[in-house]
Amino acid sequence: MIFDEVAQIIAKVAHCKIEDVKPESELMALGIDSLKAITVLFELEETFDIEIPNEVIPSIVTVNDILNKIDGIRQ
Amino acid sequence: MIKRRRVVITGLGAVSGLGLNASEFWSNLVAGHSAIKPLDPPMEGVKINIGAAVPEFDPEEYFSLDELTLLDRYSQLAVIAAQEAVLDANLISGEEILNDAAAIIGSGAGGKHTDEATYDQLYKQQRTRAHPLTIPKGMPSAVASMISRHLGIKGPAFVLASACASGSHAIIQGMAMIQSGIIDVALVGASDAPFTYGLLKSWDALRVTSSDTCRPFCKDRSGMVLGEGAGMLVLESEEHALKRGARIYAEIVGCGMTSDAGHITRPDVDGIINAMNKALHHAEIDPGEVDYINAHGTATLSNDVVETEAINQVFGKHSKELAVSSTKSMHGHALGASSALEIVATILSIYHDIIPPTANFTVADEKCNLDYVPNKARHQVVNVAMSNSFAFGGLNTSIALKKYN
Repeated sequence: MIFDEVAQIIAKVAHCKIEDVKPESELMALGIDSLKAITVLFELEETFDIEIPNEVIPSIVTVNDILNKIDGIRQ
Repeated sequence: MIKRRRVVITGLGAVSGLGLNASEFWSNLVAGHSAIKPLDPPMEGVKINIGAAVPEFDPEEYFSLDELTLLDRYSQLAVIAAQEAVLDANLISGEEILNDAAAIIGSGAGGKHTDEATYDQLYKQQRTRAHPLTIPKGMPSAVASMISRHLGIKGPAFVLASACASGSHAIIQGMAMIQSGIIDVALVGASDAPFTYGLLKSWDALRVTSSDTCRPFCKDRSGMVLGEGAGMLVLESEEHALKRGARIYAEIVGCGMTSDAGHITRPDVDGIINAMNKALHHAEIDPGEVDYINAHGTATLSNDVVETEAINQVFGKHSKELAVSSTKSMHGHALGASSALEIVATILSIYHDIIPPTANFTVADEKCNLDYVPNKARHQVVNVAMSNSFAFGGLNTSIALKKYN
């Protein structure tokens, strides 16, 4: 499941509990500020072997947004 | 003579091979204990096998996981020492006095742990992405930002680099800014954490390090021994310190700074003589008043002879009456941090009237003819002391300190 891996990455970077990471969670509310966001993107690229273009970043607000972007990039 | 404000030292912090705080640093110096030992674990493929590494500590006891994501090892050591110095000065992180204070920090090497980890990933492991925090964590100025952030210092903050004199230059800069009235309070010092694969290989290549131990001024000395750590001081204008009833360790009274405009690694006797003379002149001190010199004393073949010759020339007959010791024999050569640690040692020498020894001392080199306080600390009144630091690249500093009264 992509969600489980994404949740793990977010929990690791935000130093929060993995149970707190839900598809509808807003990244800011989980403690992911702009600096942590680039670390999350780095970990996502490493884990899924993808390139996330800078242009899509402003539209990522929730965990679901990340899942959708990954899906889009992989297709 | 231009009228200057007097500058006093009101707080000290030290992280070194001798311990994680200034009191362990000082008690080990007085006991003549050397922190130099085999590197544990040894670094494969590196000739350097000894050093004065900071005793193992758990960074999570000092910082949150969030904070650690931005702290290179050199920043960790610096912030721990800075927090100690500020507490020692009876100031609290974030309080109003620190709002206008400066943080002027030296570093010889900067955030090498971070840089090298990323380069290892890219060059050796052929990864295609660099960790996104490599720049903010590893940049040479990171340590000033981290100190500002952790202590709530909001005045001028920047990093100075002059190799092994980085700490002295930072301290002098803080002193000058207080003397001139730009600021009232400055946190000054330096930090270095040079035990990385790339740096050790680079020091290997210079062929100036010992595989035995650090024996400054001795006939059988075989080179310098690297160390790591951070030395931090709180400097204040005398008026500011008196107004808030701060304890005063000593007064920083003068400095001399010169550059050799010559050989990049060989010390130049004239550059060193001029630095000491300028410090005496700036401090308005007669050479005969100096009781103790904390020497640069690296235990390299050339430094110790040249520094001895310079002291003989500057102090004449008095050179045989004053005490000279190299505390690098105990805390190792922690690059830029060494100069700050040595100033801390010199200040505590004035404060406690104890001269720390030159440890590991055997027999003096025949060209080294001063009183090097071999192996045993000396209880003696220290009214005036100097601290010398001479960096690769021919950058020389000498700082004069006085008992406060």
